[in-house]
Amino acid sequence: MNNSIKAVLISIGTLLFIIGWWGFIQGNLGWETEDYRFDRVVSLLGIVAGGLLIGSVIRQGSLIRIIELKGILRPFFDVFAAVIVGLIVGAAVMDLFKFDPWLAYSSLFKGAFGDKYGWADTAFNATPLVLTGLTFAIGVRAGLFNIGAQGQMMLGAIAAVGIGSIAMPPGIHHMVTIMVAMMVGALWSLPAAFLKAKRGVHEVISTIMLNFVALWLVRFLALKVFGDPNRAEKTVSVLESTQFSTIIPGADVTHVVWISILAALLVYVVLWHMPLGYAVRSTGLNLDATRYGGMNPNRAMNSAFVLGGMAAGLAGATQIIGRPPVFALYGDLSQIATLGFDGIAVALLGRNHPIGAIFGALFFGALNAGLPLMQIRAQVPLEMVRVIQGVIVIVVSMPELWRLLNIKSHALKLKAAFEKPQKA
Amino acid sequence: MNKTTQEPLLEARDIIKVYPDGTEALTDVTFKVYPGEVHGLLGENGAGKSTLTKIISGLLPLTSGQLLWKGKPADFKNPLDALNQGIGMVHQHFALVNPFTALENISLGQEGSNGLSSVDFDRIETRLKQIMVEGGLHAPLDIPIEKLPVGVQQRIEILKLLLRDVDLLILDEPTAVLTPQEADEMFVTLRKLKEAGKTIIFITHKLREVLEMTDQVTVLRRGHQAGTVWTKEVDSKDLANLMVGKEVLPSVKRGGAKIGKPVFKVNKLQVKSELGDIAVKELDFEIHEGEIFGIAGVEGNGQTELGEAIGGLRKWESGQVLLNDQILRQMNPRAIYEQGLAHIPEDRRRVGMVLDFSVRDNSILGLQSSEKFRGFMGRVNWGKVKRHAQELIEKFEVKTQSIKTPAKSLSGGNQQKLVVGRELSKDPLFILAAQPTRGLDIGATQYIRDLLVQLRDQGKAILLISAELDEIFQLADRVGVMYEGEFTGIYPTHELDRERIGLLMGGLQEAVEKS
Repeated sequence: MNNSIKAVLISIGTLLFIIGWWGFIQGNLGWETEDYRFDRVVSLLGIVAGGLLIGSVIRQGSLIRIIELKGILRPFFDVFAAVIVGLIVGAAVMDLFKFDPWLAYSSLFKGAFGDKYGWADTAFNATPLVLTGLTFAIGVRAGLFNIGAQGQMMLGAIAAVGIGSIAMPPGIHHMVTIMVAMMVGALWSLPAAFLKAKRGVHEVISTIMLNFVALWLVRFLALKVFGDPNRAEKTVSVLESTQFSTIIPGADVTHVVWISILAALLVYVVLWHMPLGYAVRSTGLNLDATRYGGMNPNRAMNSAFVLGGMAAGLAGATQIIGRPPVFALYGDLSQIATLGFDGIAVALLGRNHPIGAIFGALFFGALNAGLPLMQIRAQVPLEMVRVIQGVIVIVVSMPELWRLLNIKSHALKLKAAFEKPQKA
Repeated sequence: MNKTTQEPLLEARDIIKVYPDGTEALTDVTFKVYPGEVHGLLGENGAGKSTLTKIISGLLPLTSGQLLWKGKPADFKNPLDALNQGIGMVHQHFALVNPFTALENISLGQEGSNGLSSVDFDRIETRLKQIMVEGGLHAPLDIPIEKLPVGVQQRIEILKLLLRDVDLLILDEPTAVLTPQEADEMFVTLRKLKEAGKTIIFITHKLREVLEMTDQVTVLRRGHQAGTVWTKEVDSKDLANLMVGKEVLPSVKRGGAKIGKPVFKVNKLQVKSELGDIAVKELDFEIHEGEIFGIAGVEGNGQTELGEAIGGLRKWESGQVLLNDQILRQMNPRAIYEQGLAHIPEDRRRVGMVLDFSVRDNSILGLQSSEKFRGFMGRVNWGKVKRHAQELIEKFEVKTQSIKTPAKSLSGGNQQKLVVGRELSKDPLFILAAQPTRGLDIGATQYIRDLLVQLRDQGKAILLISAELDEIFQLADRVGVMYEGEFTGIYPTHELDRERIGLLMGGLQEAVEKS
C-alpha cells in the first residue's frame, strides 16, 4: 500500500471515528423510533469501523502485537478482553432496544454476587457446568471435538434417579450413586470412541447421534419408568440417604459442589501429572511424535472419551442428588436441558484447562444466577437476556474457537504462500 | 542434431538465485537448450535442480542473470505466463483433481474468463483425440483420475500441456513415481514427443536414464554448474564424477575403533511406502559393536522407509530385524526402545518432538512411563524430570531460556541436540540416526558428528542414514548405497571414492565392478 492511499484511509477512519463518537455522546441523531435506537448503534458502528480502519492501516497486525503478552498472564488477558468485549456488545444490543445496559449489568452482578444467596446461586449453577466443561476440555486436549457431554450427562442424571431410589446406608449410597452415574456416562462415550478408533468416524457425528438417542431414552425413562405416581411432571425423588445437604439454609447449593471442584483438580492431576495425561496431551498436539514416543494415540483418545464421559455422567448426577428441594428429574428435562452444550462454552472460556473450567463455570453460573434480578430491575425480558448471554458466549469463545479451527494457521499459510514468490 | 547452426530455444546466462533467507541456491548457471532436444538435469538432493526449473517455468524469479526464450529475454511473471509463452512443467506431485475425469481435468482453466460460460468439452475432446493420435499418447478421458494408475495420470498431465501447445516440457523426476514398466512406456512417450518436435528438460538422478534418453546434460552440484556436456561424448563415470565432485574428502577422525560382535541384523526386510509400492526390497545387513554403518543414496530410494520400519513407525511386509539377538517387534516403539534402540528420527520437528511441549516435557518423550521418572501413585515425578532436563541441557549444550520454554522456540540445532541428548539418555545398545545434521549450522553439525564418533568409540553400534556424502565419508566405517530399495553395494569406506559412490547412487553398480 502506498502512502497516499494510507493517508486517505486514515483520514476516513478518523472522520468515521469522530462522527461516531459525537453521535454517541449526543445520543440522538434524529433517527430514534419508539422502540429502537438506530442512532446509537450507527454511532457505535462508526466508532468501531473507524478504529478498525485506522488500526489496520497503521500497521497490519499491530493490534495483535500489543495483545501478545508473554507468559502465564496471556490466557487471563485474552479471556478478560473477550469477556469485556462480550459485555460491550451485549450493552449495545440492549441499548438498541432501549434498555438501560448499566442498570441491567449492575442488577446482574448484584444478583450473582450481591449477597451470600447470590454467591450460593452462582455456585449452584456452576456445579454441573464445571463437569461438562471438563468433558469438552479433556477432549480438546486429546485433539477431539467431543460434544457428547449432553447425552452422557442426561443418562448420568437418570441413572442417579434409578440408583437413588434403592435403599442403602447414607454415605455408601452417595458414593454408589455417583459411581454408577459416572460409569453410565463413560459407557455412553464408548460407542463414539470405538467408532473413532476402528472406523475413523468423526466424533462430532457420532456424539450428536448419541445425544439424540440419549435425549429420548431419558425422556422415556423419566416419564414411564421412574415417574412419580403422585406428581406427573417429575420422577420419583431420590432417597434421603443419597441427597446432599444444602450449605446455606434456604439456598439451592449443596455440598455436591465440592465434588465438582475435586473432579476438576483430579482431571488436572491426570492430565499434567500422569503418564496417561502426557499421552493425551501429546496426542492432541502431534500424532507422529506420540507414536514415536511409544504411546498409542488411539488409547489416549479412548481414555479422553471415557474420562469425559465420567465427568458428564457426574454432572447429570449432581442435578439430582444435589437439587433441593425436589431431588428428582423433571419430565421435560428442563433442569438439564442445555448443560452439556453450555459446557463447551465453559471449556472454551477456561481455555480447555480443568482449573480454567472452574472459572468459566463460575462466569456462566453467575450469568444464570443474576438473570432474575436483571429481569426484574432492568425490565429486560428473559428472551433478551438469553440473546445477550449468547452474544457474550460467542465473543468469549471466539479466540479459542479460532485457534481450535486452526483458522489462524491456515491464514498464515496462505499468506506465506502468496508472499514467498514476491519476496524472492 | 547440429550444434552449431541452430538457434537455441532456451538459453540461461549466468543465472544466480539467492533465497530471501540468504541461501544461495544457484550460482552462475549457463546452458543452451536446442529445439527438439532432450536436456537432462542431473544432480543430488539440494543441487538446485528444482530451483532452476522453477525459474524456467515462471514459479520463481531469478536474482540475477538472464533467461532467453526463443532468442528474446524472458521475464515470466507466473507459471501461467510461462505456459502461455510455451513452457509447461509436470511436477512430481500431479496437480489433478482426483474425482474429476481426465477430460474435466484437462479442461480446467479453459472455461473462459467470466466463469459462467459453459466449457466446450466437445471441442476439447476432439482436439485431445487428435493430439493423442499424433503423439501416440493414449489415456482414457472419461474415467475419474483416482481410478487410474500413476503412469496414466502422468500422461494426462502431459496431455494437459500439449493441449496448450507448449514447445518446452519440463518433467520433474518423471520416473520416480513409476514402476519399471511404466517408466519404459514413459520413455517411449518421450521419444515420440521428441519426434513431434517438442523440446524436453527432464530432472533425474538416475545415470542410466541420462545416458539412454538425453542429448545434452547439465550437471548441478550444490548450486554450481558442474558442467554441461553432450551425452554422446561422455560415459557414466564422467557423469558420476561431475555429480559428486572430486574434492578432497574432509579428514576422518578415527579413534581406537574396535569392531566387536554383531549387534544389529536385518534379514530380507521388505517395506512398503505410503503409495503401496515396495520401497525397501529384501534388504540384508548387519552392524557390529563399535561400528558406524552408513546408508548413502539419493533421497527417496527407500532410506526413509527403512528408518521408520526399524524405529517402529512403519509396518514391514516380511523379513526380520534383530537387536542383540532378539527379534524386534513391529510397530511398537516402546518395546523397541526397551530392547535398546535410540532413534534420532529424520524429521525432528514432526516426529522427534512435540513442538508445543516445553523442553522439560520433551526431555521425556518416549520415557514418560519409565520407572526412572515414576513418582507417588503412578504420577510423573516432575522433580526428577526437571533434573533430567537440566542435565541434558548442560551435557549437550542445548541453548534455551529455561526448561519451561516451548521446544518450538529453540533453534534447529538446539532442538536436535535436545533430541539426541534425550535418545542417548536411554543408554542404548544401538543408535539409529536418520539425517542427524540436516538443516543444522556448521557448529551444531560438527558437534553431533563428533558425538556419534565418540559413541562409536565407546562401542555402540550406529546406523547412520544420510543423504550428505561428506557425512558418510567422515563418519561411516562401512557404507551401503541404496538405490530403488536395494543396496547397489556395501563397501568399507576406504574402498570407496566419489566416482564409485556416484555410480552406485545412480544405480550403475556394473560400472563399479568393472573398474
